[in-house]
Formats: sequence, structure tokens, C-alpha cells
Amino acid sequence: MNEKFVLEVNGRAHRVETDPRRSLLEVLREDLKLTGTKYGCGEGQCRACTVLLDGRPAVSCLTPVQAAAGKTIVTIEGLARDGALHPVQKAFADEGAMQCGYCTPGMLLNAVALLDRNPRPSDSQIVDALNGNLCRCCGYPRILAAVRRAASGVQRAG
Amino acid sequence: MHAFEYANPTTLKDALALLGNRWGDADVLAGGTDILSLMKDEVYVSKRLVNIKNIKELGGISMSRGALRIGAGATLEQLIENAEIRKSFPSLAAAARGVASPQIRNIGTVGGDLCQRPRCWYYRGGNGLLAKGANGRPLVPNGENKYHAIFGHEGGAYFVSPSSLGPALVALDAKIKLASASGTREVEAAKFFVAPASDTARETALLPNEIVTEILVPAGMRNATYEVREKQALDWPLATASVALQMKGNSVASAKVVLGHVAPTPWLAAAAGQALSGKSLSDSTIAEAADAAVQGAKPLSQNKYKVQLARVAVKRALTEIARGRA
Amino acid sequence: MSTQEYAVLGTRPVRHDGADKVTGRAIYGADIHLAGLLQGAILRSPHAHARIVRIDTRRAEALPGVKAVVTAADLAVSQDRIVDLGEGDTPLSYLRGNVLASGKVLYKGHAVAAVAAASLHVAEEAASLIDVEYEPLPCVLTTLDAMREDAPILHDGLRTTEFGEKTGRVSNVAEHFRHELGDVSAGFAEADVVVEHEFRTATVHQGYIEPHTATVLWNNDGRILVWCSTQGAFVVRDVTACILDVPVSRVKVTPLEIGGGFGGKIPVYLEPVAALLSKKSGRPVKITMTRRDVFEGTGPTPGSVIRVKMGARKDGRIVAAQAWMAYEAGAYPGAMVGPGAMCVFAAYDIANVVVDGFDVVVNKPSTAAYRAPGATNAAFATESVVDELAEKLGLDPLEFRLKNAAREGTRRADGPKYPRIGCVEVIEAMKNHPHYSAPLEGPNRGRGVAIGFWFNAGLPSSCTLSVNADGSVNLVEGSTDIGGTRTSVAMQAAEVLGIGAEDVRPEVADTDSVGFTAVTGGSRVTFATGWAAYEAAQDVVRQMKERAAKLWETDAASVTLDHGVFRSGDRSMTFRDLAARLGETGGPVTGRGAVNPRSAGGSFSGCIADVQVDPETGKVDVLRFTAVQDAGKAIHPAYVEGQMQGGSAQGIGWALNEEYHMSPDGAMQNASLLDYRMPTALDLPMIDTVIVEVPNPIHPFGVRGVGEANIVPPPATLANAIYHATGVRLRSLPMNPPAVAEAIWSKEG
Repeated sequence: MNEKFVLEVNGRAHRVETDPRRSLLEVLREDLKLTGTKYGCGEGQCRACTVLLDGRPAVSCLTPVQAAAGKTIVTIEGLARDGALHPVQKAFADEGAMQCGYCTPGMLLNAVALLDRNPRPSDSQIVDALNGNLCRCCGYPRILAAVRRAASGVQRAG
Repeated sequence: MHAFEYANPTTLKDALALLGNRWGDADVLAGGTDILSLMKDEVYVSKRLVNIKNIKELGGISMSRGALRIGAGATLEQLIENAEIRKSFPSLAAAARGVASPQIRNIGTVGGDLCQRPRCWYYRGGNGLLAKGANGRPLVPNGENKYHAIFGHEGGAYFVSPSSLGPALVALDAKIKLASASGTREVEAAKFFVAPASDTARETALLPNEIVTEILVPAGMRNATYEVREKQALDWPLATASVALQMKGNSVASAKVVLGHVAPTPWLAAAAGQALSGKSLSDSTIAEAADAAVQGAKPLSQNKYKVQLARVAVKRALTEIARGRA
Repeated sequence: MSTQEYAVLGTRPVRHDGADKVTGRAIYGADIHLAGLLQGAILRSPHAHARIVRIDTRRAEALPGVKAVVTAADLAVSQDRIVDLGEGDTPLSYLRGNVLASGKVLYKGHAVAAVAAASLHVAEEAASLIDVEYEPLPCVLTTLDAMREDAPILHDGLRTTEFGEKTGRVSNVAEHFRHELGDVSAGFAEADVVVEHEFRTATVHQGYIEPHTATVLWNNDGRILVWCSTQGAFVVRDVTACILDVPVSRVKVTPLEIGGGFGGKIPVYLEPVAALLSKKSGRPVKITMTRRDVFEGTGPTPGSVIRVKMGARKDGRIVAAQAWMAYEAGAYPGAMVGPGAMCVFAAYDIANVVVDGFDVVVNKPSTAAYRAPGATNAAFATESVVDELAEKLGLDPLEFRLKNAAREGTRRADGPKYPRIGCVEVIEAMKNHPHYSAPLEGPNRGRGVAIGFWFNAGLPSSCTLSVNADGSVNLVEGSTDIGGTRTSVAMQAAEVLGIGAEDVRPEVADTDSVGFTAVTGGSRVTFATGWAAYEAAQDVVRQMKERAAKLWETDAASVTLDHGVFRSGDRSMTFRDLAARLGETGGPVTGRGAVNPRSAGGSFSGCIADVQVDPETGKVDVLRFTAVQDAGKAIHPAYVEGQMQGGSAQGIGWALNEEYHMSPDGAMQNASLLDYRMPTALDLPMIDTVIVEVPNPIHPFGVRGVGEANIVPPPATLANAIYHATGVRLRSLPMNPPAVAEAIWSKEG
């Protein structure tokens, strides 16, 4: 049986009428066509599906769509403003902090949330905060460098 | 996944009114990391999920009248960050720190840790809580039992209690408060965890119409938890030990030694406690207690190693106290 | 070492797909949306081995919203034949049988039927309504059990091939082959020290984060359009066409971005099934695997039993080596024992060698490649034995390896003679690295080393370039980009043309739009597709010189190109200026390159690791890790380092944690990411990298593939380090706390 919700995604309100057992991930990807959020395991274990719910990272695969209604949802598509990359996005691009790139959206949103809470994290705080996001290519060294770069705000030459 | 109704109450009263008298009519959703996975895999079916994340009265951590009160809705991360817990209940802080990853600890609640279902892969694979094959014989004794119980499986439950806080709470003589629409009751942590005797029974004393509301932990005991794990994060421990000692000068007046991840419940090693009673903590008394803790273990075909790991965990938890680190 | 000066090669430009990947705009396999799209779900076998007595799909078909149900009965019936799709000869019946089981199911998770419906939930519900009657059969899960005379037989028609000849004997051993060099008995007679042991490695999964996914439209004109996540669009095209019994020209495959593969996204699982569902429903159908499907229904890499015996003289020369290698293929023949046997002694110059390989089917998922497939298992055995020999001879383990290292002219037991290779240089770089001589203090700590080899693949690649009027160049290639190869390929074209890497715009094309290109595998893309780009760029340069000559009314042979400037006599013009004048000199310029290298030169790698072992719990902590690899010429050093770190991390997980836990009835017990225990950042040390550059004589820029050799030494390195920390040699993977602790206790008694 379908129910109606309003989802506020990336600053826009979307009216959604759907089966409430569906996950936020499914609705974002299939109904709203926001495919930047990725499915990796469906069990909250890889965190490729991370979105920000009221500013905090959440696994959208285990978030019933109804639980997201009334909250501010930010997906990877909502980070860039007026065509300009978010500083963390820019740092990831400049550092080449990805191999296959599949974990990148979730990793990035988690990094954004970390830097919002703690603008100057230590290396171990970065690793601790991002550790739950699996990266099988082992891009960790470059991801660490990217978060460090975003935190410092220093645009290293080259 | 089967269809379910999602309810989002903001008061405990409303939440309790939404629960039913049978499991599966309604279930509590706190962090949601566990029950939704089970429902996706169709291992568990519930008609209604009651989100208790927005119930403010379930949160909070405070000290009053010599006891620690932990709201069941407090997150594991809040537990770790609490200065009082770090100072007086290092056992709890260490146990919480071992859980999964910071992200999960940010979402996962204390109540959720106590009520999560076993990680036993036979259970998760749809073979039921007691993991019986089509012929009714238990699958675990001759199967992949490396991560299963070495104690307390005589009743047919071979899984290990997944709760990280459970052993510490049992050692500390904590009480767990449960609420239902008709009132509240208090259960000793040691009696909260039970080894189910059938597939339809549960691993805790919680009834379908109840919610864990808070945990009360008396202060005054020296305590420590030591976990032996395979990976640094995103993993369950292989064996843990939580100890709580009532000291009288330099000697132990009474002691509780509780093993984790070795039995379907936190496992009270009474002999280890007795071995320490009246003695001071020295390498030899610690070793005696550690040996006593694993007496009577009944390892399965692939988990003999757990006996040794449990012994080491006890030794190291006690050593932390002896060295004044906890 | 490489001495030639390059303008672009060896620099670290920003990757071309970076912006798309940080904004979520990059389109991965499951991100495709088509009008009228249906969702598919697959019904998988609950049994590891069973006869399918009956399949009744009526209840599923009757469920509202269901648009199509298919089983193996919907596959074209045509004569079985042998097909070679770049991964060796395979009977068509095996390829078909693995996508939809026919007659028997051979592993738990084997696809039996599929449903397409308007929503995924309806499709899943319908799949559960398909009634399948099974007659369960006894299953066999390990190579040694499967090789027994009385073992349950998986394939009644499988007759063992022995030394290249069909024997007529029905067994689970698909093949027994042997490589021989010299006289191994004479060699061992000459040896002063002989070490022999048996080693075991567990089944492990590549563990890419993106599950397999495919979307197919069987169009009204009979063309089959496929969008998917794959390491090889042409493999998908050819296998899908074969399975569906249509000409390859009927199938068009568009490879979308791919979220990791490591070898596991070469086989085809979903595309033919989605095609059948699309044909039946008349609508496009998407099927995406769940994580459990990925673990149970795709190809992990084989577990193995390997016996290695090696003998050396007192002077430190290895004089004989013998290996007996049995790898579990999973449900269908094709375990990676062939490549394993090529690599087992490949790092050494040994006169007398015998290698016996056995390809054994068992009731587990059909295995697939995983980064240097087969070589990691083999090196675990060889490098452990080599370490023990060095110790017995009282030699430094790297000195001992150096003394016996393979070099140019060394013949491998499987035939080839090495061209210029970098084995010696890799060992020397390890020896000279500060890590190797750094003090390692404290109890229960140990340092280990090991080396490894992977032969790398050549195979066909195609590339086209077209010059734009603004002086930029569009590059079209057929290699899906998993780790940054768009950029490493574009850089090679840019180097030839004398323009910047950012001036070349690389695009991975569909199978209609680019020439045949083999898989992104075998560490071959930067090598072979990069070479095709080099050839295409040379083609552009030739034509551009003609255009310059036309403008200058001179002979094209007199025109040179240096750092992006064309010159003839005292006249000169930049690439960009000339590009603006193509219209007046004869129209557009496009360049073509197509290559098919027979061999690739191979890459050697080595690791140094320091560990600390908790003697009471068996927990191994990696304190420091250094990876060394010969890249030939490192085109984009950051990506080379990324490959080395990635291979090392996977090798560490394979060594210490990862394994398929199978219940006695053949069910994988830990089919989730939590229970499978892949290492995370907190489990891994910082991995220090050293790139060695011994130019590959085959390649115009000296490139060697770097994607794979790095996973080969880590397990042996860690086993050797654990030994030096504890005095106990672990000969079985994974070396997790239970295993290490039990080994220590049994030594202590």
C-alpha cells in the first residue's frame, strides 16, 4: 500500500508516493533519478550509500523512506553550489582520491560531515571517521590526503 | 522484504501503545542497523516498526545517588565520550569502543546493543535461532562453528550473544529497566540475557510489548573489559572478558568475571570470581582466576582456540586493574 | 633505469573523469534508466548439488506485475561447441549452464530461473513463487575430496585430459598437465639442502564494492542492446551472442563506469538472462545482484593445495624445484592453475623443474580471475620454501633470492625465455631500501620478504584519435577504466603528439564504436591500449606532417615534430595552429591504432613487511609494509602507486583474514561484507611504494603492466615475517588469530 511523503533533497521538496518499506536509497535512485548514491551491500556495511540526514551521515539502504521524510537530505548531487565544487569535492578531484570511484560519493559525504563537526581533524581522526566506508581499491592514502587538503584549505600547486 | 508499517512516535507512552503482544506484530527500531538487515534477508518479518529515535526521554547519561543511569537511546559514541563513564566505568567505555566503527557507534544505541539478534550465520542464513537442519538435528556441532559458543550450548543454542555491553553490565551488577503500557519493571542484567530453548524463544527477558528504557549501574567497583578481536574495526570480538572487583584495601573482597562472545549469554565465570576472593591481584592469582574462568568449557570442532583467548582476555582485563590502568 | 626525457609521461595530471566521479555524475552500470524499464530478479539454488526434477513457473507468472519468467529451457538449443573468448577454450554448454542451470545445479547460488516485473519487490516475490523440485545429491567441496576415486561426480560428461590427451576417464579432474625442464631427480641428488611442504589457501573473493549489474533491451529490429558493468565489453558481446546463438553483430554492449573488478568482472552472468527476459517482455530489463548474490553467484578465486619441494647447494644455488598444484575450479573447469603453474618458480633461474597442475571441479561457484590469478597461491608456497632454504643455508633471504634470480635469457619450465626483465632490480631495490636495514626491536616482532611475478597479458586493443580545430584531440578506446587508465592511455597519445594530457579527451566507447579490444585485465590496458594510442598518435603525426608539407609546399619527409611544434627548414607551426588549418588542407584528421601483442614482458614485485604477533592471541599487526614493483616506465606514477597499494592491501586481507566459510552441505556461511572480513583502513599499515623502472623492450615507451604482480608476494611476505616473529611457519591461509594462536600453542606443546 502506497503512502505519500515529502522528501527534501538537496534543497528541493519532492512529493513521493510509494511503498513505505522501500529504502531511501531505492527512492533516491529510482524515483528521483539521483543515481550518485550507490548500492554496495544493502546492509549498511559498505556505506557507499551514505547521504546526509540533517547533516549527519546515514546509510540510505537501511533508512526506510518514511524515516527520511521531514529531514534535510543531502546527496552527492547536492554538494556543488552554483556550478562550483564543494571544497571537499575539489580536494578529492585534485588529489585523484579514487581508483574506480564507486565508494567516492559516500566517502565524500562522510568527509564533509566530519569537517563540519571538526574542521581540523588529525590523521587518526580522519581514518577513524572514514574507516567504515569500504574502499576495495585501497584508495585510503589518497583519500586521507584529500581530506587533509580540504581541511587545510591550502591549494597545493600542481 | 515483506511490507511493514512505519511508526514515528515522540513519547514513550505513544511508542508503548504501538507495540503488540506477539513478536512480529510490532518491533522497535532504534539505530535500525540490525533489524532492517534481517528483514531484508527475510530472516525476520515484522508488521510494524516503531522508531524510538525521536523519543527524548530515552536519551541521556547521568550520575545520581551513586549510580550511573544510561538512557537506552543513548548512542554508543555518547557512552564513550562521557567523562564519568571513562573515569569510573572504563569497562563500559572499552566495550563500547570495540563496536563496529564510529559511524555505527553514532547511530547504534545502548538498548540496540542489548537487543540485537545473534550474528550466528546459521541464524542469518534462515536456519532459525537454534540452527537446526531439515531433519531437526543441530547444524552447528558438525558445521562451521569457529565463531560459536564454547559454554552454555547444552540447551541447543550455539550462537554467541552479540552484545558488547552485556558482559560489562553483568559484571557491574547493572539493572535494566523495561517499560510496557501497563508499567515498568527492573531486571538484573544477569537475568536479562537468556539462552533460548526453542526457535521461537528470545535471547533476552524483554517481552514483545516492552521497551528497554534505561540501565542503572552501581558505582564503586574497579572494572575493566578486554576484547580479543581479529580486525581493528567492523568486526565482532572473538572473546572478551569484563571484570568488576569490590576491593577491600589491597585485596579483592568480591569479584565478578564475565566472558563475552563465548556463550549464548554473557557468561558468568563464577569460579574465577571465587578464585580472586580475599586475594590481592598478583600475576599468580590472576593466572589462577584466568584458568578458573575457562574451566568446564566445551569447545566445538573448530573453536578450541576460544578457550585460550577467553583465558587471555580475563588475564588482561585483571592485569589492567592490577596495573592501575582501569 | 629509464633515462629518456619525456614531457608528459611520468607526470601526474588530474584524471579526466575526476569531476564526474566527485559529483556523482559518472554513470555506473546500475545508473542507467530507460523508458519502460523492468526490474529482474534471479532465483538461485539452495542446494550445492542437486538434480532439477521439475520447474513450475505458473505461480510466478500469475502474480500481477510479472512480465516474463525464464529458465534454461528458454536458451537456444544448439550443438555444444568449444569457444575461445580470450580466456581459453570453453565448451559453450558450460557458459550456458553457469548463467541458467540446466539439468543439475552445481553450487548453492547457481541461477535457476529469472523474473522481470514492474518493480524489484514484485520480481523478488515472483521468483520465490517459482516451484523447483530438486533431488539433492552429495556434494564435494575441496580439491582433495573431489580427486578421490569415490567422489561425487559433478559433470557426467567431463573426461580428464592428461598431458594434453583425453583419457576417457570420468572424474572431477578436468585436466592434469605437467611442465618439465632439465632432470629434476638429478637436480635433487645434487642438492645439499632440500625443503618440502604442503600449503593451502582458502577461496577468496575480489570484493569489488559495486555488485554486477546488466540492463538489456532486445530491440524490435532484433538487435540486443546491453549496458553493463564489465571489464570487457567485447567479451560480454561475444559471450552473450554465443549463449543466445546470434551473430556478434546483433549485440551492442555499452560499458558504463565500473566500480571495481580485479578480475571478477570478466565472466558474464546477467546479460544473457536479462536479454531473454527482454525478449519475452518486449521491454528493457535490468538485473542487479545483491551482495549475497555476488558472494554466492559470481566467481571467487580458487582455494588450492600446493606441495613444493626445492633443493639448493651449499653455495646458495637452487638446483631443483618440484611443485604439485591442485586448484579448485568451482563448478566448471578453468581453475587458475595454468597461470599458477607458469608463475610458481618464475622468479628463479632453476635448471631442473617439474610442475604438475590439476584443475579440479567442486560444488562451489565457478572461479574467476583475481589480480594475477593463481600466482598468489603459488608464491605463498614457493616463497615460504625459499625463505626456509635461505635460513638453512645461513644466507640473507634477499641475497639468496638475488643469487638465483631470473634474468634475461632464463628459461621458464613452461617454455618461454625471458626478455629483459626487472627481477634483479626489484630485489636490489628491496635490499637497498632503508626499511630492510632498519632495526626491528621488541619481542614478537619479525620481518619478512618475498617476491612475485606475473606475466601480464598482451592481447588486442584498438584506439582512434580525431583532431579538433582547437588543437585538442578526442581519443576513443575500448578499455573500461577501473583505476585511471583513461588518463594513462591519453598521456601516451599526448606524448607522441607533443600536447598536454589535458588536451586529449579520452572516451571509453561501446562495441559498435571502436575496434575489438580485449578485457581490462592482465595488467594490459596501459601497456596494450596505451600502445594502440601510441600507434594512433603516430598515424595522426604522419598525416599532420603531410598537411604541414602541403601548406609549406615541401616534402612531408622533411617535416619534423618536436614538443608539439612542426618544423621544416626555418618554418614552424604548433600542433594547435596546424589543427586549425585542417579544413583547408584536406579535411579532418583521424588516426587509428590497433595492436595485438603476443606477450607483455611481465612484471616483478617484492614486499618487505614488519609484523608484531601477539603470542597469546595470535593476532598479527602489520607495523610497516614496503612494496616494490617494476613498472617498466611509470606513465602516471600516482596510479602505479595506487595499484601497488591496492594489490598489497588485498594481499594482506587474503593473508590474514579473508576466506569462504563453507558449511558441510556447501552453503557459504559468511556471505556478507561484515562476516567476510575485508581489511579496512584501520587494519592496514601505510603502504610505502618503490617504483622500479626497467623499460620493457617490447613496448614503445617501455611500459609494463602494473595492476597485478603486487598482490603476489604479500601472503608469503607476512608468513615469513610471522615466522621470524614467532618461530612458527604458517602454511595455510588465512593466518587469522585462531590459526596463528593454534600454531604457536602446538609448537609450545
